[in-house]
Amino acid sequence: MISYTARRLASAAGVLFAVVLFTFVVFFVLTPDPALSICGQTCTPERILDIRTRLGLEDPFFVQFWTFLSGIFVGRSYGEGATAIVCNAPCFGYSFQTRQPVLDMITDRLPVTLTVAIGAAILWLIVGIAAGVVSAVRAGSWWDRASMGLALGGIALPNYFVALILQWVLVVKLEILPFPIVVPFTEDPVRWFQAYLMPWIVLALMYAAMYARMTRANVLETLSEDYVRTARAKGLPEGQLIVKHALRPALTPVATLFGMDFAALLGGALITETVFGLNGVGKLAYDAIGTNDQPVIMGVALLAGIAVVLMNIVVDLIYPLLDPRMRKGTH
Amino acid sequence: MSTVTHTDGEELLRVEGLTVAFGDDPGIEVVKDLSFSIKAGRTLGVVGESGSGKSMSSLAVMGLLPPEARASGSIRFDNEELIGRSNRSLRPLRGERMAMVFQDPLSSLNPYYTVGAQIVEAYRAHRRSRPADARRVAIEAMERVSIRDAGRRFDHYPHQFSGGMRQRIMIAMALVCEPDLIIADEPTTALDVTVQAEILELLRGLQRDTGIGMLFITHDLAVVSEVAHDVLVMRGGREVESGAAERIFSEPADPYTRRLLDATPRIDDVQEVAS
Amino acid sequence: MAMNTQTLTKRLVRKRTTRQWRRPAVIASVVFLAVVVLMAIFAPALTALSGSGPYEFHEDRIDPIRGGLPVGPLGGISLEHWLGVEPLNGRDIFARIVYGARVSLTIAISAAAATTVLGVFFGVLAGYFGGIVDQIVSRVMDFLMAFPALIFMIAILSALPQGNRPILLITVLALFGWPSTARVVRGQAMSVARREFVEAARASGAGRMTIVFREVLPNLGGTIIVMATLSIPTFVATEAGLSFLGVGVQPPTASWGQMISSAVPWYASDPMFFAIPGTFLTLTVLSFMVLGDTLQSALQRRSVTV
Repeated sequence: MISYTARRLASAAGVLFAVVLFTFVVFFVLTPDPALSICGQTCTPERILDIRTRLGLEDPFFVQFWTFLSGIFVGRSYGEGATAIVCNAPCFGYSFQTRQPVLDMITDRLPVTLTVAIGAAILWLIVGIAAGVVSAVRAGSWWDRASMGLALGGIALPNYFVALILQWVLVVKLEILPFPIVVPFTEDPVRWFQAYLMPWIVLALMYAAMYARMTRANVLETLSEDYVRTARAKGLPEGQLIVKHALRPALTPVATLFGMDFAALLGGALITETVFGLNGVGKLAYDAIGTNDQPVIMGVALLAGIAVVLMNIVVDLIYPLLDPRMRKGTH
Repeated sequence: MSTVTHTDGEELLRVEGLTVAFGDDPGIEVVKDLSFSIKAGRTLGVVGESGSGKSMSSLAVMGLLPPEARASGSIRFDNEELIGRSNRSLRPLRGERMAMVFQDPLSSLNPYYTVGAQIVEAYRAHRRSRPADARRVAIEAMERVSIRDAGRRFDHYPHQFSGGMRQRIMIAMALVCEPDLIIADEPTTALDVTVQAEILELLRGLQRDTGIGMLFITHDLAVVSEVAHDVLVMRGGREVESGAAERIFSEPADPYTRRLLDATPRIDDVQEVAS
Repeated sequence: MAMNTQTLTKRLVRKRTTRQWRRPAVIASVVFLAVVVLMAIFAPALTALSGSGPYEFHEDRIDPIRGGLPVGPLGGISLEHWLGVEPLNGRDIFARIVYGARVSLTIAISAAAATTVLGVFFGVLAGYFGGIVDQIVSRVMDFLMAFPALIFMIAILSALPQGNRPILLITVLALFGWPSTARVVRGQAMSVARREFVEAARASGAGRMTIVFREVLPNLGGTIIVMATLSIPTFVATEAGLSFLGVGVQPPTASWGQMISSAVPWYASDPMFFAIPGTFLTLTVLSFMVLGDTLQSALQRRSVTV
């Protein structure tokens, strides 16, 4: 029992280490002159030299990596003496362009990303699962064919295309919504809602489609299980039967997939945020790519990778909660 | 409790000319022109090999045939015609007046809910009751099928029980609303022989106590001989012969029946092993 | 008895299979894909026919007074410019669409091929040979799948400004794409490895590589084809997304994703500019998905054994 958790944590630590290493390698070895890229586009030769010294770029690779890795846990500083820049723990890099620790930049933007992610998640879970269940129960009917056709469309439509269509239809043509501008919820709830509505729809569309298809397939499978036949033989009302006996078991794989999908969104829904001009983590990464601010890109990529690995563990750990057969001590 | 009490030997179920077919015309007929009846306090054993149509006929009685199948003929339960009725109209009967026990208790119980919850569910589908009362009824049902420590095991999951115990739970679940008729589809096939005997004893005892009618389906003649008052032999969807159990076993009229009997290994048979 | 129901239902199901291929959605998808493929292959001929290449500027077709909007309805559709012209630079949209088809399909199909090869190789390696090899390959697969692929692809692509863009794209797509194919192939290879005919071949002294090529691979054939087909739409969409973000195919090369990106500032005044490449992109992805889905169910039905 303990050994299983220990093994799992050790394995996850290994993957995390690999993620950090891989990210570090990609960003420092691939680019010809890290100092130039980190410095950005407004550079002078003096600054380049300064950066090279500060970053210890003359040091061997492993020293550099170790400095970065330990920086995550205990913080680090760039350079020596009075002009040293201190990056407090946990340090995921420092942006020389904006003169801010990367982690601070990310936490500033996190609320927007969370708003987008959570709102979309609620939308896609409700729509996707409901559509999937109804489709499965009425398999073969026109409703089933229509909704699965729509689901296919939802997956095929690129989200930036949907964003443009929605904006053109709702804002320009029908003038139902004003042009989305983010205001804090406390300032103007209505405008806040209007600003986030389209991003929520755009993001939720693809996921709702996938979840509808998945739920439908799973429910079709559970409906053919023997225990559903037993439930019918007991004389249960059809609705109760479907929800308790067909849907509940079918949702276990959906729940685990949701964990992974949501974790991935914490790294920012890059395209959606960029298209709608939402200042989230995704847009931060996109802007950093434009200005070639490597520490920021690396920091976001790293954190996104860590979020996914951590969520993997969480999903593994809560799986027994979802499926009684997996619970320890009950065999 | 059922609102109607039945006298021993009174006819509960009458099936006449039952035909079950898959697919469109002409379709494949798995049950052809079958007729039988079940009486209160008595057990009809339906015997046959795989593919003989015995399970299909029981599913037809409960209205649980797969959607591709269609039943025709007549199934009368307590003077109500069951064929052609919608699922909704059959719901009050299922579990309440007639209940079914399936072959594989592991796959027939939902692994996501405790056994207690599933028995309670069967009860509350037909009886309005407070959760505490329903729980009490369920525990009593578990005790009646000889599950020890029922109060604690109420909260256990199906996978935490042995095969024999699981089948007892299925039986408890089937009987919790005190139906008039119980249909058992190969209830002992998946169990060890010793456990088999216990389950059969349990069923016999329950029938003695409650006077329910039973339709017992199996391919195992030895099992039939232990439970059935009357026997119906099936082959290829049709009836081969039927009658009182003693008569069928001692004087089988049909050569197929005789072949089935001969094929059943008996403990007092000594066979020469070919060397 | 349960077995009987299965056999009977399967008999009915098999009758429905041939009908499936004649469904309007499937036919439409195949037709549309044929059109797109032909467009891609014959792009130069088509543009010779329509009279405008993808890199020519037709300034006479845009109206400087209205800020560079195309002259004429629906984004400048006319007899000379079948799908209109781009605002500001007046490039012929039809020409850019057909050349964009070339780019998108070439990259997507090549990436699918590369991913399939890598996926099958590693999948069979892990699934058939098992043991430590399986452990290593599975760890690598888990690791790669944990990554936020999009961010990394963007980062890698933006860090390497020079170079042969399409090759780069294919490499990056395949690098992050092979694990999902490998995973499925691994599962299949594992179950095939345990089948009787493989045991028989092994017992009869056949060499490992012979078994792999003679017994294992043919049985995976269907799965491989389906996975390859289903991966194409993903790559079309991903390449378009990357080009949309500016890290994929670079201008002036035409790519549908990149065209949509250029169209963003004009979405209100010239909606056709984003609608046309968007529609082509969506329909292409959709058609590949329908095709892949149909292949998959055909495969499942064929391999159904009682």
